[in-house]
Amino acid sequence: MEASLTLYELNSLVRGTLETVLERTYWILAEVSEARLASNGHFYMEFVQKDARGQGLVARARGVMWNNMYRLLAPAFERETGQTLRAGLKVRVQVSVSFHELYGYSLVVTDMDPTYTLGDLARRRREILRQLEAEGILNDNRELPLPALLNRVAVISSAGAAGYGDFCRQLHDNAYGFRFHTGLFPAVMQGAHVEESVLSALEDVLAERERWDMVVIIRGGGATSDLSDFDTYLLAAACAQFPLPILVGIGHDRDETVLDRVAHTRVKTPTAAAAFLIDHQLQAAAGMEALSHRLAAAASDRIASARRQMELLAVRLPELIARIRREHEHALVLLTRRLLAARRQQVQTAGYGLERIEARLLAARLRCLQEARHRLDGLSGGLRHIVSERLAREGFRLEMAAQRCRAVDPVRLLSRGYSLTLHDGRPVTRATELQPGDEIVTKLAEGEIRSVVK
Amino acid sequence: MKKKEPTYEEAMARLEQITRRMEDGELGVDVLAAHLKEAQELLTSCRKKLYAADEEIQEILKNVEK
Repeated sequence: MEASLTLYELNSLVRGTLETVLERTYWILAEVSEARLASNGHFYMEFVQKDARGQGLVARARGVMWNNMYRLLAPAFERETGQTLRAGLKVRVQVSVSFHELYGYSLVVTDMDPTYTLGDLARRRREILRQLEAEGILNDNRELPLPALLNRVAVISSAGAAGYGDFCRQLHDNAYGFRFHTGLFPAVMQGAHVEESVLSALEDVLAERERWDMVVIIRGGGATSDLSDFDTYLLAAACAQFPLPILVGIGHDRDETVLDRVAHTRVKTPTAAAAFLIDHQLQAAAGMEALSHRLAAAASDRIASARRQMELLAVRLPELIARIRREHEHALVLLTRRLLAARRQQVQTAGYGLERIEARLLAARLRCLQEARHRLDGLSGGLRHIVSERLAREGFRLEMAAQRCRAVDPVRLLSRGYSLTLHDGRPVTRATELQPGDEIVTKLAEGEIRSVVK
Repeated sequence: MKKKEPTYEEAMARLEQITRRMEDGELGVDVLAAHLKEAQELLTSCRKKLYAADEEIQEILKNVEK
């Protein structure tokens, strides 16, 4: 039977060998997979190395930072990186390899290089931002227009946090008397559950988005607070695509988180967030007051100008009336002239017509006369003939009658011895017509005899 | 039926319109008073949205102190 070593002897051998072979310290790159501060002040971690795809583990080692080293290194690390030393961080640490017979293999941290962690975090942020950019949503929330008023504020924060109280006090106690309506959507703002908790709060806000003007994500706390919990792709994508503008004030003054980059507006602290909202309202108020003044000025200008116009009119009115009268009179004169001219024209036209009618009448008369004369001439020719014929005939008849007359002429009879007895001028043809005593006249061829009847 | 109250943006847009028309002398004296009254109401509505009433402030402060 070969000689045996006790376990302790073997472990001592390993320890001795390691201490002989290995350098005193090494700088190593690893990821912290667990981290825990023990009550005795020592800080225990687990270092891992993942495979190329980031899935499986290819190496693992326990690590420890002794109490005194922790108090020296941790604050410097947090100051530099803005991160507490925690799981998920990639670190560059100086370690000495320790092998203890009872506790086994572990790495004792003797120094840390925060710049490596910082670089790694920055790289992760860059990757998230690159992805958001590739998806075209990186600037969506930043480009949302801010509403004119920002007084309905959905606050995502942890209810008990000092930052939330500061925010509310600052906001509601503003010096200008601006009205704000805030609603708290509680969320865990630190640790591993930040992502899911804030996402869930965002969903709650989204469900009643009509009620809010803006989402404010705030967290109180010192500058050393752990911020990389907010550097997740899902949270960044949700904020980038959120339909309401997001204001973040998650308390830091070093690196900007991915959330700061995608949110509409970033400020450092919750009080700064309140100040931003108040300032926005202040601008709205200034705009409104300016408009109100412009309105008042415009109105009084308008009234003043109307009054001026009226006064001017009052002065100009008599002159204006006189002018109008003159114009009317002038127009009247012109009108009268035109009327007269028109009448003259009419009369003239009518005159021409009359003259023409007169001439025609004259011509017609002449024609009538001529015709009449012509007919008369014709007639008188015939008449002369008829008359002379008649005259001849009558002459002949006269001659005959004269001859007859001459035959019975009493003078001739008287001359032949016949006499004519007249009584009272009337011829007496019967003796019985006479009475004795009547005076009768007997006419002879020459003279007469007056006799009385016996 | 009561007219729906305009949003702050709508009210401000209308105010701007009235002011501009007044500045440009587009509004006759006859309608001036009506427009001024409307503007006054809009301003009141805007102020109401912007500023909290005193009792409201007291209430809020009481809650914040808790």
